[in-house]
Amino acid sequence: MTEKIFLIGLIILAIFAVNTRHLRRAIIYLGIFSLVSSLVYLFYGSPDVAIAEAVIGSTITTVLFLVSFKKSRVFIIYYANADFNSSDSRKTIKARGQILKSIEKFLIDHEFEPQLIMTTKSYELILASEVFDLLVYQDNAQLLITGPDEYHLDGIETFLKDKSFKDLEICFGRCVEYEEFRS
Amino acid sequence: MMNNSRSEIISTMTGLFYPYILLLGFYVILNGHISPGGGFQGGAVLASVFISRYLVDPEKCVRIKILQTAEKLLFLAIILFAVLIGISKVMIFNSLTPVVYLIIMNSLIGIKVCCGLTIIFFRYVFYEGGI
Repeated sequence: MTEKIFLIGLIILAIFAVNTRHLRRAIIYLGIFSLVSSLVYLFYGSPDVAIAEAVIGSTITTVLFLVSFKKSRVFIIYYANADFNSSDSRKTIKARGQILKSIEKFLIDHEFEPQLIMTTKSYELILASEVFDLLVYQDNAQLLITGPDEYHLDGIETFLKDKSFKDLEICFGRCVEYEEFRS
Repeated sequence: MMNNSRSEIISTMTGLFYPYILLLGFYVILNGHISPGGGFQGGAVLASVFISRYLVDPEKCVRIKILQTAEKLLFLAIILFAVLIGISKVMIFNSLTPVVYLIIMNSLIGIKVCCGLTIIFFRYVFYEGGI
């Protein structure tokens, strides 16, 4: 009886691993999958195979997958706000949520893994010191999106043009100076 | 990117668990003839010690050259040991009890599997593809 519950659990975990949108979650689900399957081996009376499955399936393979995942394409998004006293206001949070969610959707559709970093550093400091693929800079209702790679920027621009955000003024910069944005 | 992923909790806890994982690995190898487990499983447990060391400090590389020569020597030793025991069984009957034979064979296989899995992992991490 108990092993039947675990067998059903195996099927559910396998479906989860296939259907998640995030690759990292799929790897973790696979790790849990092999742990549960080693338990099932134990119930069927083969502890030898269970030990091998637990060590190789859930430890070594998971770490290997995580390392190779890290080697794959990670897209770093920096988010900064002009005035971080107002960053708690409802309007700002709503705009931030809208824009970041749609950018992440675009990246996931193109098989990137978005990594969002929120920072309180100023715009010039990020440009000078950080390594990023996309920088989203918000000043109340104005948004500046810039990045070193023009190809992805074009894609994001056409993607965001199709969706209309009300009360938001989005400006795409290709190495645009800060003063130009301010004026 | 490499530095951001390092976590204090994981490194401390892994450092605490090292001796216990090592102990479990040697237990599984040396008790392979009585309890479930054996050379392969114990070796994999021992290899997981090296692999979790990668999680603690990723920059530190193990000496792969030494491990490779050790693996080759152990492979030769496994074959030679089995052949020599077979010959001596014919010439001097019952010179070695099966338990001792099993323990020696299990530990040789265990250390070989540990070397092999560690080589596979670190070769993949440090030499394949760009980060």
